[in-house]
Amino acid sequence: MTRLARTSSWPGIALAGGIFVACLLVSLAFGPASLSLGEVWHFVTTGPVQGDLPNAIFWQIRLPRVLLACLVGAELAVAGVILQDLFLNPLTDPYVTGVSSGAALGATIGIVLHLSNLPWMAVLALIGGFATLGVVWMAARRRGRIDIFVLLLAGVTISYLASAVVTVLMIRANQDMHAIVYWLMGSFSGRGWQEVEIALVAVPFMIAPLFFAREMDILLQGEKRALELGVEVERTKRILLVTAGVLTAIAVSVSGIIGFVGLVVPHIVRLLVGPGHRSLLPVSLLVGASLMGVADLLSRTVIAPNEIPVGVVTTFVGAPLFVYLLRRGRKG
Amino acid sequence: MSTTGQRRGLAAVIFPAALALLVLGALAVTGCGSDSSTGGGASPAASASSGPITVTDGSGASVTLQQPAARIVSLAPANTEIAFAIGAGAKMVAGTSYDDYPEEAKSLPKIGDFANPNVEKIASFEPDLVLAAGGIQDGLRSKLEKLGMQVYVVDPKTYDGVMTDVTNLGQLAGSTEQAQQVADTMQKAKDDAQAKVASLSRPATFLEIYSKPLMTAGGDTFIDDMITLAGGSNLGATAGSGFPTFSAEVLFKNDPDVYIADSGSMSEPGDISKRAGFADLTAVKDGHVYVIADNIIARPGPRLAEGLQELVKMIHPEASSAP
Repeated sequence: MTRLARTSSWPGIALAGGIFVACLLVSLAFGPASLSLGEVWHFVTTGPVQGDLPNAIFWQIRLPRVLLACLVGAELAVAGVILQDLFLNPLTDPYVTGVSSGAALGATIGIVLHLSNLPWMAVLALIGGFATLGVVWMAARRRGRIDIFVLLLAGVTISYLASAVVTVLMIRANQDMHAIVYWLMGSFSGRGWQEVEIALVAVPFMIAPLFFAREMDILLQGEKRALELGVEVERTKRILLVTAGVLTAIAVSVSGIIGFVGLVVPHIVRLLVGPGHRSLLPVSLLVGASLMGVADLLSRTVIAPNEIPVGVVTTFVGAPLFVYLLRRGRKG
Repeated sequence: MSTTGQRRGLAAVIFPAALALLVLGALAVTGCGSDSSTGGGASPAASASSGPITVTDGSGASVTLQQPAARIVSLAPANTEIAFAIGAGAKMVAGTSYDDYPEEAKSLPKIGDFANPNVEKIASFEPDLVLAAGGIQDGLRSKLEKLGMQVYVVDPKTYDGVMTDVTNLGQLAGSTEQAQQVADTMQKAKDDAQAKVASLSRPATFLEIYSKPLMTAGGDTFIDDMITLAGGSNLGATAGSGFPTFSAEVLFKNDPDVYIADSGSMSEPGDISKRAGFADLTAVKDGHVYVIADNIIARPGPRLAEGLQELVKMIHPEASSAP
């Protein structure tokens, strides 16, 4: 029981890494502007060139968008793993802690105050996300200990509260309603290098949980057992919660609210590599990045020149895959 | 515990979808309509000042009043603008919270949120004519008619369709003359534009409705019609009808000569030339990037005449400098 990672985690990670690289290349090679593979390779080797329009399509539009989608997918997937396993609840996703609703509220305030351009939107979304995390945290803290169930309930409650405030703002500031709604729907359209830079800030927070893989494995058996086995439970929970909060807030601040990836990727990966975090965390990171990258590829190509909201695609791609794996997993 | 989790998960999927529907509907009201038939035609029999007045509205339904309307409720800002422009402002008993033009419209009593107008509230003003919009308000007509109200739907797909609505409302409100003057002004703007651009080439024009995600005006909209009247070729028409999202890559591939961003209730375009990669667009390099107020281009009312003049200046600056 204690040794959840029975076998080496490297083959799984290498395979996921291979899949990710393939997804990344496919996402970069294809797009509605149909650059040839030769052209794409030429742009990769020459680097960004001023005054060359096809080059700008690759370097200024496609590449940052693909990178952003992958980063956000990875962020949400890792946050999903952390939160599901901390809350010991399979239906948890990065949005239950209230962080995303808080971020949405921050962004909505930005739109209403007409600060809708970067970096203001991202900053306000981050402030909103952290403020909610703070409130939820205070609600759940009892005698120096974080009660995980109170945290979950408080998170859901604050989440509803923040959504209600967003709705009120939408109705009051009805002129800005469209902007708010499009932001809430989540999209990578119109995003560029600025957003990528913000999303890159989250990279250390994606890697940090790997150092807590053993603690997270033990925590799956409950806090009491973890204490007995010498895990610094409260410290670990604090670090992991803040990490998941930062990941979610950063993801939401650059892309809006994109559902499904944070909920389902950890489950898919658990079915494939098991619950041991030494595999689960890095493989989820890579699968999250791959799924979001492919979802955005489909979102921008399938009905080009129109786009499908990426959240719809993540669900269409992820749901059948998940159901298939669930059935397969049950047989096994 | 699991129920709450489940509800959140579901909410993450359903909420955005519901919001999307809401916005599409709202767009149809502020901007142009979505799917119903093209603008109505005036009935020639209705010119007499006495007796019943019958006109065909934007949804193709015929609207009959026994005498000119005396109490009018508007469910869209464009309708309010038309009513005031044709001199029926004094007959307006209520408008929407979006109404901001003319100044007097702001102080009208409100029938509530326009994406979801309150039927009881509308009825409480005892209007003899309700000016509705297409799209999201389609389901409203039967409810209002059951309560005995006459409903005229303003849902133009072309610039001419707006003029038709203006003259129709002139008949219904008993101010045919002033309505004709408004329509004449709109016609003159159209004729002037046509005269200026008739012999000129048609620059590829992209009209940005919103930037994140990038959205444009599709083929069957009066905005598309106005771009054509102003001597441009609307790139958005290739992306379908209504207000479609538009791929940035395709925008770059097509490299429009003129880039016009709508600004106002929907969107603050910011500094377009500073957006990533935009410096390489022909429109940016040649200085043909413009911002236009959405009230004069996306609101199907009399001020579209101003919008059309602005569009001509943007798409054909060379023609506008000539006398």
